[in-house]
Amino acid sequence: MTLIELGLYFALLSLLTFGGVSSVIPEMQRYIVDVKGWTTAADFMHLFAVAQAAPGPNVLFTSLIGYRVAGIAGSVVALLGLCVPAAALTWVVSTLWERVGDSPWRNIIRRALAPLVVGLTFAGGYIIAPPHTPDWRLWLIALATAAGVLRTRVNPLWLLAGGAVLGGLLL
Amino acid sequence: MTLTSVGQNDSTRRLSAPPHTLAELFLGFLSIGARSFGGVLPSAHYVMVEQRHWLTPEDFTETIGLCQVLPGPNIGNVAILLGKRWLGLRGAIVAFLGLFALPYLWVLVLAVFYSRWAARPPVSAVVTGVGASGAGLFMATAVKLARPIARKPAAVVLMAGCFIAVAIGRVPLLVVMPIAVIVGLYLSRRRML
Repeated sequence: MTLIELGLYFALLSLLTFGGVSSVIPEMQRYIVDVKGWTTAADFMHLFAVAQAAPGPNVLFTSLIGYRVAGIAGSVVALLGLCVPAAALTWVVSTLWERVGDSPWRNIIRRALAPLVVGLTFAGGYIIAPPHTPDWRLWLIALATAAGVLRTRVNPLWLLAGGAVLGGLLL
Repeated sequence: MTLTSVGQNDSTRRLSAPPHTLAELFLGFLSIGARSFGGVLPSAHYVMVEQRHWLTPEDFTETIGLCQVLPGPNIGNVAILLGKRWLGLRGAIVAFLGLFALPYLWVLVLAVFYSRWAARPPVSAVVTGVGASGAGLFMATAVKLARPIARKPAAVVLMAGCFIAVAIGRVPLLVVMPIAVIVGLYLSRRRML
């Protein structure tokens, strides 16, 4: 039953995933942790950390959530759930697109989505950074990393490694 | 290898040759997945444009642009779209599987290790640090994406509205997204975004 629920939920989420998977992370946390209680906020954050540290597309975070909720089967169901409906839509739209050619709608849609993606991506960071009670040490690490990205040209992997060191020292 | 020319006139003509077999397509996308440490898009560009010449740079940008306005993981949509264009339904499935095969295994192995060690306090502290750092990466990405639109008042209101509804109000995305998309499209058509 959990497996079906998981698959249906991610399939629904698939069609809301504008601007990439980062946009739906706050919603996943709301549902998986707050509504269903399938895992804790701290564990959700830890899985997010594992996904960030691993190579590969961001979407694999969903298979980690699936794995936590329902094992290997859960990991496959969550990944396919999030990918397949969007893939089907891409299939249909690409057929139409190649028939219609370039259209002013593409720019209208892109400009319409940009502010949504910014707001939702920022919400993702805001919700993940303090998993339960606000903790200045976690905010310090998050803001230091953000500053590192914006002010330097260091590879983000080094910044994650810095987060690991600071976590080990401060927490 | 046969080469097909792409481009409207001779001055912009570039040569590209799409993959001919499912095996070639699978190996190409497997290699994109394998190289995706620190970002999938750069590795997709490297493999498909620079290394294998499956696409011209213009084709690549065009394809990414279309996938970015559609819902779903962008790179997954790219695999579907290109696999379909080159080798039909089987191509789409093969490209998708190639892309995810290795990263899926890695992330699962990491998760198994993490589950085994998670109970130890030092491990938990380090992983929490990485999580907070990852949250910082998200905030930095949001700031970068916000820069070009930060001077448009309508865009700022829409950004703030989405953030407040989702992060503070914890309103379900199923409610927020349709409203935000409709408002966004309306403002965008009236050239306010």
